[in-house]
Amino acid sequence: MPKTIIRAENIHKTYHMSKTNEVHALQGINLEVMEGDFSAIIGPSGCGKSTLMQILGLLDRPDSGRLYINDVDTSTMKERQAVKFRANTIGFIFQGFNLLPALTALENVMLAGRYGGLNRVEKKKRARRLLEMMGLAERLHHTPNELSGGQQQRVAIARALINSPSLILADEPTGELDSETSLEIIELLKELNEKNNQTFVLVTHNLEVANSCKKIIHLKDGKNTSA
Amino acid sequence: MMEIFRNMWRKKFRSFLTIFGIAIGIFAFTVMGSMALRFNKMIQGGKRFITGQITLMPKGSTGYTGGAATLPLNTLNEIAKVDGVEAVSGIVELSLEEPDPDNPIGSGVSFGVPPTIEGTDFNTKYRNRNWEELAMKEGRMVGPGDADTNVTIGYTIALDKKLHAGDTMKIRGRDFTVVGVLDKTMTGPDTYVFMSINIARQMLIESVPFLKSLQEQATEAAKISDQALAKLPEETRKQLQQAKLFNPEDINSMAGISWKDGVDPDALSNTIKEKFKNEVMVLSPKMMGDTIDKASAIFNAVILGSALLALIVGGFSIVNTMLMSISERTKEIGVRKALGASPSSIARDFTVEAGVIGLIGGIIGIGFGLLMIVLLNRALAGKGAEIFIIDTTFLLSVIGFSFVLGVIAGVLPAWRAARLQVVQALREL
Repeated sequence: MPKTIIRAENIHKTYHMSKTNEVHALQGINLEVMEGDFSAIIGPSGCGKSTLMQILGLLDRPDSGRLYINDVDTSTMKERQAVKFRANTIGFIFQGFNLLPALTALENVMLAGRYGGLNRVEKKKRARRLLEMMGLAERLHHTPNELSGGQQQRVAIARALINSPSLILADEPTGELDSETSLEIIELLKELNEKNNQTFVLVTHNLEVANSCKKIIHLKDGKNTSA
Repeated sequence: MMEIFRNMWRKKFRSFLTIFGIAIGIFAFTVMGSMALRFNKMIQGGKRFITGQITLMPKGSTGYTGGAATLPLNTLNEIAKVDGVEAVSGIVELSLEEPDPDNPIGSGVSFGVPPTIEGTDFNTKYRNRNWEELAMKEGRMVGPGDADTNVTIGYTIALDKKLHAGDTMKIRGRDFTVVGVLDKTMTGPDTYVFMSINIARQMLIESVPFLKSLQEQATEAAKISDQALAKLPEETRKQLQQAKLFNPEDINSMAGISWKDGVDPDALSNTIKEKFKNEVMVLSPKMMGDTIDKASAIFNAVILGSALLALIVGGFSIVNTMLMSISERTKEIGVRKALGASPSSIARDFTVEAGVIGLIGGIIGIGFGLLMIVLLNRALAGKGAEIFIIDTTFLLSVIGFSFVLGVIAGVLPAWRAARLQVVQALREL
């Protein structure tokens, strides 16, 4: 019986853009993600994909509803606990890679290790190993602007993995890559999923990418239509 | 750490401007501060001296401007009889060089006490309680038994005129033998020439036409015998008798009083003031100490205030730079937070970055400040007129201060960075 990684119950989120303009981004989301899942969240623009992602990643809080990650109720967490929990349990991969431009590939990966509380030696060792695993052994000391898009995303993946998170959230991980590189990245993620039984949730526009996922969550108007 | 430098390097011009702003502030602070240290040392020396005795000034004089007012011998003798007074000694002060008629106010404004002749009574029992003995660099201090032509000179005078013990020195047309050179005191005595009061008096009389004519009249009058005087008409006789009364010992620019052990000098000052308020002005040690402290406090406030102003401007440039840097790096902050950075670690990073900017500016500013101080001191050292004191503790604290300034300037921007909402920060750009 696989473990439940995410259990979301009736999650609501409304953005107050101005006094008269409210955006009901999420209107009662229910979903469950099991350990080892490789799920895609898809849906039209404005359906609440990004909001859901942010809430799953504890970057934002729902207005109502409950969110359990690793069976921990995160909806009642204090901000400080949430920060710590995020650092140790959740890995992020962003659409725009979001590497820090002043840091080398190795330092970018190590930075996440620092926030995850790894000691100096350990974070360096892990960062190096992960980058080698990503095929970037020759690029450790390059800064992001010296790397191609695919390479940058690999660094970002290594960064997401350094604290051995039980959940990896990827927001449009292939959004800025050409189709060939996109496939490579998705293959890489799948490999990680299969080899390490790590849980992935992807947000994507790309149907091809979505169809290669084990599970698809359709979002429409802030509700999931199937799970 | 490297990250901070790389971030600065990425915005070279802006970092340069910011650091430059701090550097100018710290430069001003270093230079002004070292000057204030020097000035304070001088002032404190003066204070030490003046609080070690009760000082008498002639009624009608105002410190340095002096004028023709003098303290008559008679008054000093009377004051010496006051209970609690140990000894009273007249002092004759006059400028070392005769004023140049073509340039009456001197060749330039000098820092500190101008070269001065201190004519003191070699045989007095008077002593300055804080300064009974001055340290010697060469030879000895003039004192009892010394010829009137012997002088002891201050450190700066010796340096300026390249004199050593044993040399001959010409002062206002007379030859003197240097029997000693004082060690550096950083205050008054550096520019003093100590000599017998008798000869100093004589030189003072010669330099003041009024006194000179009085003395000439006295000399002439002394030639006329009492018998001859008696034959002269009433009016002439009176004039001559008065002329005879002129006594050079009545000429004292000021006087020092030392008090007996166990006597309260300020109470003693008051007693003397009450008794002799029509003849002298009494400067009590406490009053003078307070006056000097006040003067030096104002001087310090002006100097350090102006330097601080420069620093505050520099501080604001750090605030500005950091705020700009943060708004440019909003997304980066969002990413860091998404990776699990706590608000405090974000705030710490930015604060340290601001501190490092301050520190670099500080080190550069101190470097240039020191360079200027050393060069100026070297240029002036030949005249013994160094106007700066290089004080390691002060310099280190300025470096520390520049870091603290950076940190303080960084706190507000860092706090703003720490408070950024992840979701909004990530949405930037």
